[in-house]
Amino acid sequence: MAFERFTGDARAIVRAASQEEARTQGTGTVQAEHLLLALSVHPALQHLGLDHDRIEQALTQEEERSLASVGIASGDFDGPSASARPHRTRLATSAKLALERALLAARRRQARRIEVSHLLIGVLSAGQGRVPRALEIAGIDLEQLRASL
Amino acid sequence: MPVAPPSLPDDPADALAAVGALRRLADRVEDAAVARAAAEGWSWAQIAEALGVTRQAVHKKHARALAGADDGTGGH
Repeated sequence: MAFERFTGDARAIVRAASQEEARTQGTGTVQAEHLLLALSVHPALQHLGLDHDRIEQALTQEEERSLASVGIASGDFDGPSASARPHRTRLATSAKLALERALLAARRRQARRIEVSHLLIGVLSAGQGRVPRALEIAGIDLEQLRASL
Repeated sequence: MPVAPPSLPDDPADALAAVGALRRLADRVEDAAVARAAAEGWSWAQIAEALGVTRQAVHKKHARALAGADDGTGGH
């Protein structure tokens, strides 16, 4: 991924997704949903009304529902604390896909740099996975959100 | 009377999401289990054999986290 084409803010989002969001959730793997959480608190996107806590809750609910669908009750396992997590993180496929789609979005708009708004478009472009599932649970209208970008 | 086991969710999106959730749960259980074993003095070779993976694989995945846990959870 060519990070040199990202604006400083866009790079900071990827960093926050890794250092704050992924690690807080006790994982060293940065997923698309961690990018979404980092984007939700960015000053330039506040007009969209993405609520960090609401998305986080929706992600938890999504996880609980998914586990329940195959017979695992939530709260069955009390996991390790976040403090025991690795210092190094890596980008998972879902995050890489979001970054590639952000690049395409920037190109379509003939932007020279990949900006924060392109990152959000990249994250919201996912047709499957935890991001669209959590947004649906949170009652956030994906089409309306995409249209406002 | 035994409880019927859950069947596969009808919607493929739900079924596939369940796979992802189970993998994340398995990762959390693995982290905790490896940390416990290491704390009780198990060698990487023993942990690897118990997990059915190579020693290199388990070391690569967990060595850093366990080293971090030593100085990150003081008072634990």
